Amino acid sequence: MTEQLRSELRKLRTTRTVPVLLLVAVALALLGAFAEGLSPTLGELAKEDQQRLLIGGAATNAALLAVFVGLLAVTGEFRYGTIRVTLLFEPRRRLVLVAKLAAAALAGIVFAVVCVAVAFGAGLSILAARDVGVALTRTHTLVLVFGPVATSALSAMLGVTVGALIRNQVGAIVALSVYSLAVDALLFATVPSLGRYLPGQAGNALSGLPDAELLSPGLGAAVAVAWTLVFIAMATLRMDRSDI
Amino acid sequence: MPPVLSAIELTKRFGDITAVSELSFELEAGSVTGFLGPNGAGKTTTMRLLLGLAEPTRGRALVFGRPFAELDSPGARVGAVLEAADLHPGRTGRDHLRVLAPVAHVPPSRIDEVLALVDLQGAADRRVKGYSLGMRQRLGLAAALLGDPELLILDEPANGLDPEGVRWLRDFLRAFAAEGRTVFVSSHLLAEVAQTVDQVVIINRGRLVVEAPLAELTARLAGTVRVESARPDVLEAALRRTGVAATERLNGTLRVHGVAADRIGEIALAANVALSQVVTESSSLEDVFLELTAEPRT
Repeated sequence: MTEQLRSELRKLRTTRTVPVLLLVAVALALLGAFAEGLSPTLGELAKEDQQRLLIGGAATNAALLAVFVGLLAVTGEFRYGTIRVTLLFEPRRRLVLVAKLAAAALAGIVFAVVCVAVAFGAGLSILAARDVGVALTRTHTLVLVFGPVATSALSAMLGVTVGALIRNQVGAIVALSVYSLAVDALLFATVPSLGRYLPGQAGNALSGLPDAELLSPGLGAAVAVAWTLVFIAMATLRMDRSDI
Repeated sequence: MPPVLSAIELTKRFGDITAVSELSFELEAGSVTGFLGPNGAGKTTTMRLLLGLAEPTRGRALVFGRPFAELDSPGARVGAVLEAADLHPGRTGRDHLRVLAPVAHVPPSRIDEVLALVDLQGAADRRVKGYSLGMRQRLGLAAALLGDPELLILDEPANGLDPEGVRWLRDFLRAFAAEGRTVFVSSHLLAEVAQTVDQVVIINRGRLVVEAPLAELTARLAGTVRVESARPDVLEAALRRTGVAATERLNGTLRVHGVAADRIGEIALAANVALSQVVTESSSLEDVFLELTAEPRT
């Protein structure tokens, strides 16, 4: 297991995919922080909810890109046929899947640590520059620090499972993008009582975003973990049964 | 000791298509076996079944007497290259091997050894997308050799190799087998492997055509006479009556084995069959391969 995990981590480190995704996450985090930090009036920015949106919104870019780390880690293997090589050295497919989940989760955690640092760094700098006091409570601060880390790890694992289920790289990317924009976001906007239980909104809740319609961070965590487990089960069945 | 590789009534269907049908053969240690058949004969599917990448519809595929997935540390026992393209283009050759070193249970120093073995040290730190097909083949082979396996399974390894590369591969495989190890190598061209293999397993349309030592296949070719006549049925019957059973029909042409041309002439004369052509074939292995795997004419 440790050998397979080392192998999977080396796979992530030896192509440009992951560094590029991390750069995009950081760029989006900065962009988000500036948008949410500079456009509100000073009065708005002084409110805690706006400050949560400023920092939390920037930090959730880690999860947004981490899902693609997982997705590309699996679909890339199918696209280039390296999955055959992987399974020749470790034919126990469940073990390979678990190693991929763990490697992606670790990458997700790294993404989140970087993005949380960028979000707090940029966010607090903007508050200081505009001479607005920090209004975050201790609890919300803790959620804003650890929530995105958990969300990003779960998101990367979800990406692995979606990749294992769809396999076709372009198809998986399109499916995931359409889902998160058209299903997850749209359902939450129109029927929030249902939409908040979807994986994306559960992750937003866990990340500490301020929206009265979202679940609490704790409940969001439970729902996000449940979704991840369901997808891991489906991906396991698919990996068990199919020819490569 | 179980055979190194065994297919036991191996069958694989994809929907309505039967890719491999009731295929049985065994490989002994220390031999080089050519796995031959035209494109689409089911060679790659058979290899995937043997390597546990696909599940047989019926039958069993065993490596060292066990299903591939049940081998302990398979990388140390079996090395396989299915397609030269099974490489990430953005990864360097060395990184491809570094990724596999932990799961092959080998130290980093082994990477330089296998790179030297396939003569790829110079290009090891370049990304695979800049590699030629031959270099990809060699990198695939280097990965297969990482765990120092007892069995090599190679699917069309000569594809993309220049003549020098083909010769290098031949020498390499012979040396590998000379150490008592086993090679199972597929090709759609017999000539490509004729100088390398000890025995052949020939399949066509997913079925076994012949499993024989190369020498036996060569011997089988000796003394084939091609006879054309207006009445091949009568001639075939007449040959049979005189005890010549080894005939093959291909439209109006008879191919008769083990009888000299003049004797065939006598039999034809006695049977009152006019012959339009009698040719003693100096057939090559390639001829017999093409004939064995020819599409049946209907």
